[in-house]
Amino acid sequence: MNKEKWITSLVKRYERPLCSYAFSLLRDLERARDVVQDTFLRLCSQKPERLKGHEAQWLFRVCRNRAMDLIRKEKPMQTMSEPQEAELAATDQQPDEQAAQHDAGSFLPGMLSTLPANQQEVIRLKFQQQLSYREIAHCTKLSEGNVGYLLHTGLKTLREQMINL
Amino acid sequence: MKLDKNDPKLTACALGELSETERQAIEKELETNPEARETVEKIRALGEQLSEHYASEDNAELTGVQRTAIALEARKKSKQKIIPFPRYRWLIAIGSAAAIAVLFIGFMNCFVVVKSVQKKSAAFSSPDFIKSENSLALAQPAPASEPLAYTQPKRDYRKAPAMTKSLQNMQFYSSVAAIDTDAGRPPSQFGPSIEAYNEIRENPFQRVVDHPLSTFSIDVDTASYSNMRRFLQNGNLPPKDAIRIEELINYFNYNYAPPTGSTPFATHLEQSICPWNTQHKLVRIGLKGRVLETASRPPLNLVFLLDVSGSMNNANKLPLVKRAMALLTQQMNEQDHVSIVVYAGASGLVLPPTSGANRPAIMDALERLSAGGGTNGGEGIELAYRNALQNFNEQGVNRVVLCTDGDFNIGVTQGGDLNRLIEEKAKSGIFLSVLGFGAGNYKDSTMEQLADRGNGNYAYIDTFSEARKVLADQMTGTLITIAKDVKIQVEFNPARVAGYRLIGYENRMLKPEDFNDDKKDAGEIGAGHTVTALYEVVPAGLSVDGKPPVDALKYQVNSRPGDRDSSRELLTVKLRYKEPRSDVSTKVSFPLMDSDNSFTQADPDFRFAATVAGFGMILRESQYKGSLSFDQILEWAVQSQGTDPFGYRREFTDLVRNAQAIGK
Repeated sequence: MNKEKWITSLVKRYERPLCSYAFSLLRDLERARDVVQDTFLRLCSQKPERLKGHEAQWLFRVCRNRAMDLIRKEKPMQTMSEPQEAELAATDQQPDEQAAQHDAGSFLPGMLSTLPANQQEVIRLKFQQQLSYREIAHCTKLSEGNVGYLLHTGLKTLREQMINL
Repeated sequence: MKLDKNDPKLTACALGELSETERQAIEKELETNPEARETVEKIRALGEQLSEHYASEDNAELTGVQRTAIALEARKKSKQKIIPFPRYRWLIAIGSAAAIAVLFIGFMNCFVVVKSVQKKSAAFSSPDFIKSENSLALAQPAPASEPLAYTQPKRDYRKAPAMTKSLQNMQFYSSVAAIDTDAGRPPSQFGPSIEAYNEIRENPFQRVVDHPLSTFSIDVDTASYSNMRRFLQNGNLPPKDAIRIEELINYFNYNYAPPTGSTPFATHLEQSICPWNTQHKLVRIGLKGRVLETASRPPLNLVFLLDVSGSMNNANKLPLVKRAMALLTQQMNEQDHVSIVVYAGASGLVLPPTSGANRPAIMDALERLSAGGGTNGGEGIELAYRNALQNFNEQGVNRVVLCTDGDFNIGVTQGGDLNRLIEEKAKSGIFLSVLGFGAGNYKDSTMEQLADRGNGNYAYIDTFSEARKVLADQMTGTLITIAKDVKIQVEFNPARVAGYRLIGYENRMLKPEDFNDDKKDAGEIGAGHTVTALYEVVPAGLSVDGKPPVDALKYQVNSRPGDRDSSRELLTVKLRYKEPRSDVSTKVSFPLMDSDNSFTQADPDFRFAATVAGFGMILRESQYKGSLSFDQILEWAVQSQGTDPFGYRREFTDLVRNAQAIGK
């Protein structure tokens, strides 16, 4: 396949998912876009045959690295392993209060935001992108066992919260 | 196979992540296990909801200009990459990330005990040891080939050769990742983080003929446990060097009887067969500090020294510090005094000494604090000690309570200088408590040393309930020292013991001669505190760590086999301590008779301490862990819960389960 077409098709396919992933990491649309643009510019210097079959994991990994660089530069004191402050505020909200505020079905965002950031991240990669444990592990630099554990724990918490609704 | 409904395998199965054989096995199981089947169905349903949720998310997209820039780049035939104008911002970002990384390397140097330093000094220590007893040269066996654990020298933080080595030993993945742009690096267990831990070299087995004495300082710190808990609860195994086994053991309270006589603590010795190596024995030394009723405690003169630098601006840090200090304030009364010193780029007194009864004023001062700026820890420490000294209470407890993430980056930051400053201040009779907060750039190494030098204790506060444990439930233990410079020296009976290994306490080892040297600093014990140390003992006649036994000595003055054989003593424990206000130490000693108790016969406290030690050995990937496995640890932990009034032991078993799941 012609390289230009290859890149254009990947931009078309992954532009939005990457943007929302970057946004979930950075919480800032402007910077999320910058990160995604940078990711695609880096893609331009890759050989298509080298990435064949694992384009998605490559894109998400590079996108994540760029986002982490930015976080480190601007907020060197925060890490992804702890919930961000906005999310902690959400934790204070009881599930039943959330239920009162949202109609059934739209309570997921609120519940997701109470999970630790690393669990949120793997859940997003799994269910937004349908990436496998292995691909998520590659992208987040965690071990596969770790990814499985985080997903398991995150989903378990979500299920428990749903029962409490 | 009987699957629990909480088994991570079910999640993997629902998400199609199992291998073909595993999948078939589980599906077969699901046919007969309705509970597990229901779980799988629920996970699948939740998965669909989540996918829908993400699909309906208000997707962000690139701007037209950005898309055009990518299209232009894609069209270029040459490999040379041209960076369009807006990209310069990026160069700066990457450049500064790299610059930060480089600066950080320089900074960290000061705090790391470098492997090669230890190696070198260990190699030189045996000749030194012999020189000091020159006249007995004949009686000395040939210089030991193993490193001498208790002649390990004082750490010198100014020296830091072999930087690359030290970097490998730290959690330094983040800076590596900062310059890593493409795929292909091995996965990091720890995620992005710039935390610093000193390397720990496990105490090796010692032969009694070479080293009849084992000497160390007690340690009542607990930080390593709560730090480990944070890692496990986040789904990561902690880095090896974050595990100090003695701190894991001492996190728990054991039911030792308090002292009855004038000695400020009671000593309890016990032994059994070593559970992870049944040829060996396990010996426990347990100390219990005198218990003080809250009503009869001495007045407190406390200075809260609070880090309000930019790095503390995080929900787990300053807000938690405020709540923790508020908790402590609630227990103050009119006989107590509190002042608050803050430090960031500059430091200042935000609350002059205020009566503990004037709670509104203290709470108000806490409430007003906010975080920002760099961290000049050194200046803050000076000011805090000056304040404590001005209000020094002869009859009371004078203590600086330092709350920080340990990331000092302005002023006196060199590990050695900071330690000397603290050591100097400790001579004034003011004690130090170091409370560590936060994650990500947590400097465990700095803080442990500060507490160590400053006649202090060190706890890691990760949650409000940990604050409650340290500052409310065990408040007297944390704040009121009942004996200082407590040293333990164990003499082993060569007729009964071939070799031994102290589990943990690696950075608390002392030389044999330090035991009687009152100028040598050692650990403090607080009111009601328990301190526990475990020795793995090799009975006489067995080879020590695979090395053949040496011949009996001919010229030893005290080798009178008749006497020794008649003695059924396994060892003698000697303790030295000083009263909190005294400079002269007192010595007490206790022998332990040899016996062949089985592990199951031992009391639950003994078994629980051994279980915690075993867990630490697995996490440290100890070369002495023998047959230990997480399954085994879990079984022992469940069987040795005791009464567990606060639920700490139950939490421990949960952590073992976490580690088990992560390790798979």
